Amino acid sequence: MTLELSRRDLLRFSAVGVGSAALLGLAACAPTPSTPNPSGDAKPTNFDFASWSLSEDAAKGAVQSAMDAFAKTDSITISPVTYPYNDYLNQLTLQVRGGQFSGAAQLDVAWLSALAALGKLVDLSSFATGLGYTASGLGAGKIDGAQYGLPWTIGAVGLIGNAELFDRAGASLTPTTIEEFEEGLRALKGIGVIPYAASTKAAQLKDILVWMQTFGSPIIDGGKTTVGDEASVKAVEWYKKLYDEGLIAPDVDRAGARTLFAQGTTALYDDALVGKSAVTSQSPDSGLGDKMTPIARPVLKAGDTPQEVLWGHLVVVVDGEGAQTAAEFAQWVTSDPQQTVDYFEALSLPPTTEEALASDAVKNDAFVAAFTDAVTVDAQPSPLWQYVGYAQMESAIADQVQAVLIGQSSASDAMTAAGSTISGLIG
Amino acid sequence: MSALGTQAAELAAITGSGRRLGRRGRVRWGTWIALLLLALFAFLPVYWLLVTSLTPDDLVFRFPPSPFPARVTFDHYAEVLGNPAIFGYLRNSVLVSVITAVLSVVVSMYMGYAFSKYRFAGRKSLMYFVLSSQMFPQALLLVTLYLVFAQFGLLNTYLALIISFTTFTLPLCVWMLKGFFDALPDDLIEAARIDGAGPWRIFHSVVLPLAAPGLVASGLFAFVRGWNDFIFALTLAGPDKQTLPPGLVNTFISEASTSWPELMAASLLVSVPVCVVFILLQRFLVGGITAGAVKG
Repeated sequence: MTLELSRRDLLRFSAVGVGSAALLGLAACAPTPSTPNPSGDAKPTNFDFASWSLSEDAAKGAVQSAMDAFAKTDSITISPVTYPYNDYLNQLTLQVRGGQFSGAAQLDVAWLSALAALGKLVDLSSFATGLGYTASGLGAGKIDGAQYGLPWTIGAVGLIGNAELFDRAGASLTPTTIEEFEEGLRALKGIGVIPYAASTKAAQLKDILVWMQTFGSPIIDGGKTTVGDEASVKAVEWYKKLYDEGLIAPDVDRAGARTLFAQGTTALYDDALVGKSAVTSQSPDSGLGDKMTPIARPVLKAGDTPQEVLWGHLVVVVDGEGAQTAAEFAQWVTSDPQQTVDYFEALSLPPTTEEALASDAVKNDAFVAAFTDAVTVDAQPSPLWQYVGYAQMESAIADQVQAVLIGQSSASDAMTAAGSTISGLIG
Repeated sequence: MSALGTQAAELAAITGSGRRLGRRGRVRWGTWIALLLLALFAFLPVYWLLVTSLTPDDLVFRFPPSPFPARVTFDHYAEVLGNPAIFGYLRNSVLVSVITAVLSVVVSMYMGYAFSKYRFAGRKSLMYFVLSSQMFPQALLLVTLYLVFAQFGLLNTYLALIISFTTFTLPLCVWMLKGFFDALPDDLIEAARIDGAGPWRIFHSVVLPLAAPGLVASGLFAFVRGWNDFIFALTLAGPDKQTLPPGLVNTFISEASTSWPELMAASLLVSVPVCVVFILLQRFLVGGITAGAVKG
C-alpha cells in the first residue's frame, strides 16, 4: 500500500520550500557589516591576541602574565584566541581571511609568508627601529622590505648530543667535517645506541634540506630551485648511506627523536631550544638536562660555514579593530627589557634584543649560551619559506627522499622529480 | 535388517555423529580463536590506554614496553579531574551531540517515512540527491560553511555546531530510517486508516512506536558523529563552546610535546558516560541497524 500525495499537497509543500530558500538567499545577500578601521588610534583600545602558547600548560602562564601586565598599564582588555599548534596556521588563516580576527598574533617564523600573502598584516617597520633587535631577528620577520613580524624568540634547529654517551663511545662532541661526524656515529654505534636519531619519517624529512645546504646546494637560487643538482643528490646519497649502515634509524620524527633521546636510546638528534623541557620531562634520567650538548653542524670541507635552519616565534599584527594598540603590544612584549627577561626565565626561550641577550639571566643559562654560540649564530631561514606553498615543496622533497631510503628510487631520479615539482609550485 | 547390518548402522550413526561432534568441536575452537583475536584487536588499545594513563611520565616511553606498569600513579587522573576546562568541554559535547541526535532523528523520521510510504514525482532522485551529500568530505565544505555562519553571525555558537553536524548526519539517518519503515507492513497503516486515523495519527500512534529501535539507532549514530567531530568543532566554536576533541588536543598537545598519560586519562574519563548510554541502549542499536540495513 502506498500513500498518495495529491498534486495540491505537492505544490503547497514546494511553495513552502521555495519560499524558505528565497528568504535564506535574501538574508545571505544582506550587506556585510563594515569592518571598523581604527588604525592610527591615539587612545589605547581593546584587541585580540592569538597564540597557541595560551593553550599549552608550560607556556600559558608566561604569556597570560604578559597580556595582563600590558592590559593593566593601558586599562584595556586583551581577548585571548588560541588553537593547538598543529592547526594554528589553518585556523588563523581562516579567521583573517574571513575578517573575523584583527589584533596581534603569535606566529612561527616559517608561517610568515603564508599569512602575509593574505594582505592584511600591518607593516611594523616604525615599531622596530631603535630598540636593539638583532639583525637575524628582524630578518626573520621581514618580507620584501616590510617588517611584518617583530621577533619574539629566535633560535635554530640544531644538533644536540648526549655528552655522556659521546664520552663512553670516545666520539668527538665537536666534529668539524662530515668525515669526522661519520666516524663519531660509527663509534656511537659500537656502544649499542642509535647513533643519530635523524628524521626519516616523511612528515619530518624536511630536515634534510639543511644537509643539502651543507653539501653545497642553495635550494633556491635566483628564483629557481636547485634541488636535483649534484650537491642535493650527494646529500641524499649520504643520508641513504647512513641509513644503510644503521647510523640513523627508520621511521623517526621530531617527537620520536625526543623520546629516543630521553630514554638514552640515541646519542644525537635535531631540535630547537623549545624541545629541551619536553625531553627532560619524559626521561628517567634526572641528570639528562646537564648532559645535553649543542653541536655545530659539520661541514663538507674544513673552513665552510655550518648550515643551520632558523627557528623562532614572531608577533604580527592583523589590520583592523585595535591594530594600533596591538602593534604597541607587539613592540612591548618583544623588546621591553624586563618583560623579555621574565619571559626567558619562565620558558628558556632566548630574547631578540641585544640588551636582553646580554642580561645575566640569559648569559648564565649554560645550555642556551652554548646553543646560541654553536648553532644559532649561523642560523638562516629556510629558502623555501619565502613561498606560500613552502609546505608542499617540503613534502615533495620529503616523499622523494623517503623513496630513496626504502630503495624505491635512486637519489638522482628522486631529486630530479622533487625539483620538477618545486619548479611547478614556484611557477 | 540383520544384526550385523543393525550394528553397522549403529556404528555408522555413532561415527557419523562423532565426526559431526569433531567438526562441531573444531568449529567451536575456530570460533573462539577468531572471537579472541577480534576481542584483542578491539580491546587491546583500550587496555593500553588504561595502562598509559596509570604510568608515571618517565616510564611512559620505556622500551621494551611492559603490559603492566612498573609503578602506578593516579596523578594524571587527579590532574584531569582538577581541570575545570575538561568538564566544560564535556558539557559542550553532551549538549551539542544530544541536540544533534534529537534534531537528526526528528527531521529524518519524517523524511524517511515520506520516502518510504509516499509516492511522488522525483522521490527516487531526491533520495539519491540526499544520499549523494555523503560523498563529499566534510573538510571540503568547511570554508564555505565558515563564511556562511560568519555572515549570519553564528560563529562561536552552539547553533553553528548543531547545524553543521546535523547536515552531515541527516542523509544517513534518513537512509537508515527509510529502510526501517520499508520493513513495516503496509497492512498496519491500512488497518489504521480503515479505523479512521488520519496520516498524522497513523504516523505518530502506529508507525513511530514500532520504529523505536530504528529511531534509537539513528539517534546514536548522529550522537557519535557529533561527539567525535574535530575539525568543525575546532573551526566554528570559540574557546567557551569547544567540544571534547579540540578541547583535549588544545589542552594536552603542545608545540614541543604531548602529555600522553593525561590525554589517556582524560579520554577514558570522558568516554565513561557514552559507554553507559550505549550499554543501556544496545539492544535498540543492534535491532535498528540490522533492520535498516537489510531493507536499505
